[in-house]
Amino acid sequence: MNSPAPHAAFTPRILVLATEKCAYPGADAVGKAHQEYGANAYVLRVPSPVLLPEDFYLRSYARGIDGILIAACGSDCPYRGAYDRLAARIDRLTLRLKEGGLATARLRLTAICTVCIKAYLKEVGQLDQTLRGLGPVQRDIARQLWEASLQDLRAAVSTAA
Amino acid sequence: MPSSDTQPVAQPTPVRDLRIGVYICRCGGNISDVVDVEQVAQASRHLPGVAVARIHTFMCSDPGQQAISEDIQKEKLDRVVVASCTPFLHELTFRGAVARGGLNPYLYEHVNIREQCSWAHKHDPAGATAKATRLIAAAVGKLHHVRPLDQVHLPNHRKALVIGGGIAGLKAAADLAARGIPVLLVEASDRLGGRLNDWGRVFPSEQPARDLVARLVDQVRQEARIEILLQSQLTAVTGFIGNFQATITGPLGPAGQAHTTQATVGVIIVATGFAPYVPRDGEFLYRQSPRVVTLPDFIRGLGEADPQAPSLLWQGRAVRSVAFIHCVGSRQLDGVHEPQPDGRINNYCSRVCCTTTLQQALAVKRQFPGVEVFDLHQDIRTYGRGHEDYYIQASQAGVVFFRYHGDEPPVVQVDPADPDAALRLQFKDYLTWGEELILPVDLVVLSVGMTPGNALVGDGDHSLAQMLKIPTGEDRFYQEIHPKLRPVEVSVNGVLLAGAAQGPMNIQEALSAAGAAAAKASAMFVKDDVELHPFIAAVDPELCEGTGQCLTQCEYEGALQLVEQEIAGQTVRRAQVNPGLCVGCGACAAVCPHRAINVNGWTVDQYDAMVDGLVADLAQPAAVA
Repeated sequence: MNSPAPHAAFTPRILVLATEKCAYPGADAVGKAHQEYGANAYVLRVPSPVLLPEDFYLRSYARGIDGILIAACGSDCPYRGAYDRLAARIDRLTLRLKEGGLATARLRLTAICTVCIKAYLKEVGQLDQTLRGLGPVQRDIARQLWEASLQDLRAAVSTAA
Repeated sequence: MPSSDTQPVAQPTPVRDLRIGVYICRCGGNISDVVDVEQVAQASRHLPGVAVARIHTFMCSDPGQQAISEDIQKEKLDRVVVASCTPFLHELTFRGAVARGGLNPYLYEHVNIREQCSWAHKHDPAGATAKATRLIAAAVGKLHHVRPLDQVHLPNHRKALVIGGGIAGLKAAADLAARGIPVLLVEASDRLGGRLNDWGRVFPSEQPARDLVARLVDQVRQEARIEILLQSQLTAVTGFIGNFQATITGPLGPAGQAHTTQATVGVIIVATGFAPYVPRDGEFLYRQSPRVVTLPDFIRGLGEADPQAPSLLWQGRAVRSVAFIHCVGSRQLDGVHEPQPDGRINNYCSRVCCTTTLQQALAVKRQFPGVEVFDLHQDIRTYGRGHEDYYIQASQAGVVFFRYHGDEPPVVQVDPADPDAALRLQFKDYLTWGEELILPVDLVVLSVGMTPGNALVGDGDHSLAQMLKIPTGEDRFYQEIHPKLRPVEVSVNGVLLAGAAQGPMNIQEALSAAGAAAAKASAMFVKDDVELHPFIAAVDPELCEGTGQCLTQCEYEGALQLVEQEIAGQTVRRAQVNPGLCVGCGACAAVCPHRAINVNGWTVDQYDAMVDGLVADLAQPAAVA
């Protein structure tokens, strides 16, 4: 782990995975209200984050994304069972980060609704502050975890078969 | 598996030698006042595969859209990016422009640099400019993994299931059959006509309700295209628009076995109507005094009364005074009214009770001028055409009006000294100064509101709402997608609402809704097949090894299965998606070790490529990931 000393000159790169039905329109609402947040937060639209495997997140860190905010629909998720599966995956991923030595604070799962302007600003702002304290992501560690996650994904199949 | 520096997992190779057009919108300054669009265009030209990058003041204008279509032809573009406002505004617009240029409309990527960039980073133009460039780089990266998609086409079964044989269901069935569409009409009770069978005259025409019902029932019965199942309920349904498989369970036969009917229908119209609110035991002395009745009870009683009788009799006793209390079971207040069994209060207005109450008050006065009639209301809401006349006429006929406040409902009491004497009605009247009044009355009529009728067709998991996955509102009525722009439609494709199942409405409104539902259902049958968007799971047959991992994640029965296939003389098992049942959540995609199953338009490879675009070193042309 890096020392907790703030990295003054460092601007983290934040990936926001925003659900099409809730958080993406929520992020739009922030702009429509002309509320501002850092231009270092990049929103990608997802039908549901449940479609992304653990290796996607770890690969993103390995490529230089410093923190990921999963802005989901929570209990308003339009897909049956998807939120529970997502939450379980994020739990496993968090454990992987913890055991591998990557700060778990680089990953946040939250629910943002279509009009949750304050919640969006708070989540993005807090993640930004946390990442500034943590410094750049350790891409080499992320890379090892990424490869391990892929091995486990394949192993799950051979066990099942 | 190869574990090269960049690709520890086998990934489909990106499409090479693309000619991508990038279009950046100024939005009349909304974007370009913050984002340096010239700089963004310049940087975009260095992105892999980008052939042209242009700026336009309004991309959504006709000339803006035309620029895309023309460039596709002139510049031989095979992919397009537009960076403008939120995709919810113009993604479809630009897909249309791409299609008009002769390209598959899904070879298009939309980038949001207004709501999520210029408007959100007004005081950081440099940051906003860099962000816009990176978002475009992400889109360009994604387009290297995007392939043409087609709308999903499914056969359309030209038959409608109408649930509920009340006035709305009858009207919907009659309208559909008149257009040549076969209908299966399912009614839970043993007769058609629903609530109107027990109603008196209807406002504002004062026609007997049974005449209305009789006309529609005759029409429906004479129509060979309508099959009627009485004492029957929908007990199971699978499928989707154009292809619903419905199981209808009928009454028990002599052998004690229920008769079931299977039907394949293209569309389902839900016309389950309403149920009058039933007051709690003791609410205004309901069920504790025989002289407290609900409005439907009263209408039935008055209808059965001898028109020649000199005075109004109720259960053999002469009635000298009647009080109507409005808003019973409607417009309830938290903390004042006891919650319903599900913990909610009925805070909505039932809309039709005011006019019905005035109609009945007037009827009493006209038939029995000697009877005193009192009307206790919170407000009078005679909102419809001709409804206000009832208020005016009731006033002229001598109905006496009082106004109570919702948090001080009237109290009905039995005279403790003489239980056989008139009931005592105590309340504060706010047409005056809040004067406390006690009226002796022989009969209290509770103007009960409307509650959803879907309670008739099962509870919990077996309710219609659960079976058909129709959302309900806070008021428990079925909820349409959009109250103004998409009335009678629900979020489930192929399911429509008709009448009071959707919320309190009068007969006129219920018939309009039923007509609208029938019209929309008919429109669905204009084509022989059903077109659905392509954003559902798809299996790459080259990558699938039939591990079955995806099946363990799918929550939608029948959406995904393993089927045996012959490949190179070998019988193998491969995943197969049922396009009608898959909702495109992507739970399956995350667990496939071969990335063989993905949601069309949102593949994991595409997300990887977008991340690469976001983090690419933009000083020099980025490599294709």
